[in-house]
Amino acid sequence: MENTDVFLGLHEFLERMRQPSAADFVKSIKSFIVSFSNNAPDPERDSAAVQEFLANMEAAFRAHPLWAGCSEEELDSAGEGLEKYVMTKLFTRVFASLPDDAKCDEELYEKMALVQQFIRPENLDITPTFQNETSWLLAQKELQKINMYKAPRDKLLCILSCCKVINNLLFNASIASNENPPGADEFLPVLIYVTIKANPPQLHSNLLYIQRYRSQSRLVAEAAYFFTNMLSAESFISNIDAKSLSMEESEFQNNMESALAFLSGLSTDMDGLSNLNDQNAGHLPREQLIDSKHQALNSKKEKEPVNQPKSSERKSGSKKVTFAKDQAPITKVPSLSELENKGATMLLKEDKASQVFQEYPYLFANVGDLTINDVEDLLNNYKQLVFKYVCLSKGLGSTSSSLLSSNLHTPVVDHAETVKETEDQKIAELKDESDKDTGMDDSPKSVSVSEEDVESHLPQVDAHAHQGGKNDGTSQ
Amino acid sequence: MGCASSIPDKSAGGLNNLDNGGAPDAKNLRVKLVLLGDSGVGKSCIVLRFVRGQFDPTSKVTVGASFLSQTIALQDSTTVKFEIWDTAGQERYAALAPLYYRGAAVAVIVYDITSSESFTKAQYWVKELQKHGSPDIVMALVGNKADLQDSREVPAQDGIDYAEKNGMFFIETSAKTADNINQLFEEIAKRLPRPSAPDS
Repeated sequence: MENTDVFLGLHEFLERMRQPSAADFVKSIKSFIVSFSNNAPDPERDSAAVQEFLANMEAAFRAHPLWAGCSEEELDSAGEGLEKYVMTKLFTRVFASLPDDAKCDEELYEKMALVQQFIRPENLDITPTFQNETSWLLAQKELQKINMYKAPRDKLLCILSCCKVINNLLFNASIASNENPPGADEFLPVLIYVTIKANPPQLHSNLLYIQRYRSQSRLVAEAAYFFTNMLSAESFISNIDAKSLSMEESEFQNNMESALAFLSGLSTDMDGLSNLNDQNAGHLPREQLIDSKHQALNSKKEKEPVNQPKSSERKSGSKKVTFAKDQAPITKVPSLSELENKGATMLLKEDKASQVFQEYPYLFANVGDLTINDVEDLLNNYKQLVFKYVCLSKGLGSTSSSLLSSNLHTPVVDHAETVKETEDQKIAELKDESDKDTGMDDSPKSVSVSEEDVESHLPQVDAHAHQGGKNDGTSQ
Repeated sequence: MGCASSIPDKSAGGLNNLDNGGAPDAKNLRVKLVLLGDSGVGKSCIVLRFVRGQFDPTSKVTVGASFLSQTIALQDSTTVKFEIWDTAGQERYAALAPLYYRGAAVAVIVYDITSSESFTKAQYWVKELQKHGSPDIVMALVGNKADLQDSREVPAQDGIDYAEKNGMFFIETSAKTADNINQLFEEIAKRLPRPSAPDS
């Protein structure tokens, strides 16, 4: 629902930008975006520039005849449209653009991957009344969607939806048990727990990005409060130690070690895959180099590098080529079905098998459990699975075996909260294989269904912008 | 505990429930208020009592009490919109508090009069805010659960003395009976520094 209205906001905004009287706006927006390509990333300066630009433009909208007689809501939605447009354009330049941020993401991800193996709600002071791990999966799912979007508002909404789900669950639990209505004493611990279990991709970078590029006038009140809670959860998690979980030092150390052993156990079993990754490391962007030692830690890792804007910038096609080329020297690449069988055997041995599947909320659903609202999610999940599968098949050099004939739920197929990756790949593939010469679209590759729609509008504004620029040039 | 179960009916009294969507100005202040205090002292009950009067289980609009806002009208025809930020009071989360009180105009530090431990914790927060909070933050010390006189561990005089020594406003409240809840927020509103603007 949230994305529908911002989508409308953008649509309306783009409509207005097509009016002849908006030519100056289009020119300013265009030249602002272009100005970013001339400088190396500098988050402080970039953030200040974007904030100032958004504020100035919004003030200008307010004073412009195009919006004469418009309601506050319409002006607000124009501001949202502007923010979404500008930030979608700048995303690859400003998101996780510093090595330090990428490193933080990595460390945080690794920490959560370990801690989630053994943390219990009691470690965070979540009282039994408010414990509800099954329903918390819904909140986790919201958080895991964060990389499906590029616009700061959409990312922020993932956090707010997660918080809303938690609040609803706490509220219902308090009614059911006749307890006091839940406050921060109840809320923050659950948010931290849910975050650790969700282990959302690039959490640190996502939070910084929202903080820097969500228009300041809109990161206020309730949104600011829940965003602060998320920052606070991040801070707590990155400082987790024995004391903060009320554990004995030795108990904590043991837990961390067995979690690590458990995860590296997976990694040794997946030698074939990690070899493949190591082989490729030399050809891959920095992010993937950093990542290579963790590649096998958790199969989820594999999607992280692709998520990095830098690598998506390179058109994932190039990566595919690398894979294909490098395959030859590797003597034994396990076939898809071998991998599948291996994974299935590992799963059967694992006593935590059910935990693995916790991330796939629909796996155990019956038809009757689903509502019409689930359709979008399911479709997204389906697309992710298909693209992931096809890409993996391709990467392994398999001639496409039908998805339907294989088991969708093997661990080889990631649950991808991050449609971005797969969407990026899809689009890159379409471009590389069939659309090579169109070259009319300089926009970042689209991210999700709604953003895809959004982006299909962008070139038109670009065209207009070029036109505006040209007209302007000739007239002078 | 139990503030939700036994709340008597109560009208919002002098409270102005209109949500002022317009831009804040000298006549319409918007104020960030942070609640600090041990877990279980009733921070969220105080807020719910203030915002809702009665907790309405059928209300689906906002659930939970970790963030709530409420506007009150003062006699000089100004309005103050409080945006109330609750914080987790458990010891393990204490280090996170600066993220919440940063930029707050008001800090309400709550303890439970039946727990001297919570009073000690309140003093810790006062010191922390004096050291790291914004210098012109308005601080209030609140002894909650004043209805539980029989189990009182913290004499009212201790609260009064401590608050006076630290230049704070002090009040004892009961979220359960609604005693002094509105007074607390009205008193805070009066103490807020006003942006100097010509009255029109």
